[in-house]
Amino acid sequence: MSNDLKTQNRLNNSELWGGLIGLALGVFVIWSGLKLKLGSINDPGSGYVLFYTGLLMCVFAATIIVAAITEGGPTFGSRWEDTRWTKPLLVIACLTAFAFALDPLGFLLSAIPLMVLLLRVIDPVRWSLTIPLAVLTPLGVWWVLKRALLIQLPSGIFEIG
Amino acid sequence: MDVLLNVAQGFGVALQPINLLYCFIGVFIGTLVGVLPGIGPISAMSLLLPVTLSGTPESGIIMMAGIYYGSMYGGSTTSILVNIPGEAASVVTCIDGHQMAKQGRAGPALGISALGSFIAGTFSLVALMLIAPSLANVAIAFGPAEYFSLMVLGLVVLTFLTQGSMAKALLMACIGIVLGLIGLDSITAQPRLTFGRMELIDGIGLVPVVMGLFGVAEVLINTEQHIKRDVINAKITQLLPNKADWKASAGPISRGTILGFFLGILPGGGAVVASFASYALEKRLSKTPERFGNGAIEGVAGPESANNAAAGGAFIPLMTLGIPPNVVMALLLGAFVIHGLQPGPLLITQNPGLFWGIVASMYIGNVMLLVLNLPLIGMWVQLLKLPYNILFPLIILFTIIGVYCSSNNVFDVYVMIAFGVIGYFMRKLGYEPAPLVLAFVLGPMLENNLRKSLILSQGDLLTFVQRPISAACLVLAVVLLVGPLLPSLRKKRELVALDEGV
Repeated sequence: MSNDLKTQNRLNNSELWGGLIGLALGVFVIWSGLKLKLGSINDPGSGYVLFYTGLLMCVFAATIIVAAITEGGPTFGSRWEDTRWTKPLLVIACLTAFAFALDPLGFLLSAIPLMVLLLRVIDPVRWSLTIPLAVLTPLGVWWVLKRALLIQLPSGIFEIG
Repeated sequence: MDVLLNVAQGFGVALQPINLLYCFIGVFIGTLVGVLPGIGPISAMSLLLPVTLSGTPESGIIMMAGIYYGSMYGGSTTSILVNIPGEAASVVTCIDGHQMAKQGRAGPALGISALGSFIAGTFSLVALMLIAPSLANVAIAFGPAEYFSLMVLGLVVLTFLTQGSMAKALLMACIGIVLGLIGLDSITAQPRLTFGRMELIDGIGLVPVVMGLFGVAEVLINTEQHIKRDVINAKITQLLPNKADWKASAGPISRGTILGFFLGILPGGGAVVASFASYALEKRLSKTPERFGNGAIEGVAGPESANNAAAGGAFIPLMTLGIPPNVVMALLLGAFVIHGLQPGPLLITQNPGLFWGIVASMYIGNVMLLVLNLPLIGMWVQLLKLPYNILFPLIILFTIIGVYCSSNNVFDVYVMIAFGVIGYFMRKLGYEPAPLVLAFVLGPMLENNLRKSLILSQGDLLTFVQRPISAACLVLAVVLLVGPLLPSLRKKRELVALDEGV
């Protein structure tokens, strides 16, 4: 990582933002611990461990923030340098769409399009292989689970599967 | 004599046809995931965790254990032939193993790796058999203070050994503890961090968290780049090492075995640390260290023996104390819990058939692995040619199914996808998931033991330092926490710090 990339822009310092997220989480955990009641040292309550873990989180996050401010840190851009960053985004989009479709459409109707998309959008596999793989794999798995292991996958509003 | 009788009882269990079948499936899948880059023992074990429900506890746990030590064997094949580690414990094997393959010595590299693994695996089993029952007797005297301190030590060791900033690793461990505490408080039955969702009352499942952080996140990272595979295409002949190879490898195998076994026992340690430590040791002891990196067989024999010995050693804290020393053992703990069993000091006396059956199955599994890894090497090489763009959609599909089957709940699939995305960004920003997962598993136990200790001692914190084992663990943990501030120890940490594998 070059020095230029490390200290060029403090606001774009990924270490700083990582630390700030950690700090925010720590504060939330402390607040949750307090809300749940700490109890006493003789009889710790439900929030006791949460509270102290939250404090530790804040200490570690503060250490990260101080290091990010004093030593600098890589920019967000440099973390994705020389990578095909759109590809994981596409996979995340496909998975999110799948998550929304799974319950209403059921396993088969959501898994087959997911497979087609994953096989085609990253490093496209030829259609003659994509179609059989995308159809037969979910079907095969569904059949094994339903018939052999008696596990019912979601069948959705159309009750397919 | 007792040990022999117990081993005989163990073989009685392990040689039952159904258990032999599960053992074979386990070591076969282990080798497969070891060979395939992008999927490792953690992903495979979490994927198959629900499958263990369909059989007896013995069968399920025998299969899960087989996946773990099988992956240690399989990982070396990819390292040697493709220069891509199949799993994290084989990273170091790439250095000399692939050089040997390039020089036309892929056969002896694969051979010494499999035979060294077999020797180390067998040694660690004998040691497990001898040490575990004695340690279990000692562990009966452990109170909540000792358990609490041991878990703290385990977490600190893991954060110490994790790559990159220790503050980040400690932050991850804290987040893991918090995630582990989601759900009903086991003492007061008060819901914690459930946000009013019924699905969170029982807490977040281990399987979706692990599958997300290791399985999905790994796929996302891999899709960022073209995975280049420099597969050695020449026909692999003469798998058995010659006399000179054996002479050069005898010392590294012995040292790697002993070092690996003890590093495996340590909480927070494991196969990955053992392989790196063995490589460093062999290079330091060698009269010709310049050969390392250019195809030295010692650089393959030592680490491969060490990672297999560590895989065996890691069973000791789990079986005798009920504390998983690493993420893989945490998953195995999950398999025990699914079957209503609690590993710990009483497991060996209350369930001798289970304990000795697992140990005996490992002997059988090691022999199966030797057969799978030497004569069938050609098959694994063919598998390496499977392109990643076909492999990763299958991995995603199987992770989704694995997660759904673990709870029959679509909510867990959402959790897995969310943790996959979180895991991807964590890795991009240099936050390792391993401390989070181990803390997630240990979190509830840690909290219970802390609260019990405080209640029993009437709030006296000195209870943690007045008990010798507890005090020793805490002192060691403090040394490791403060240590990185000293330049010499920081340098050592950077040398051994590593990525926990998928």
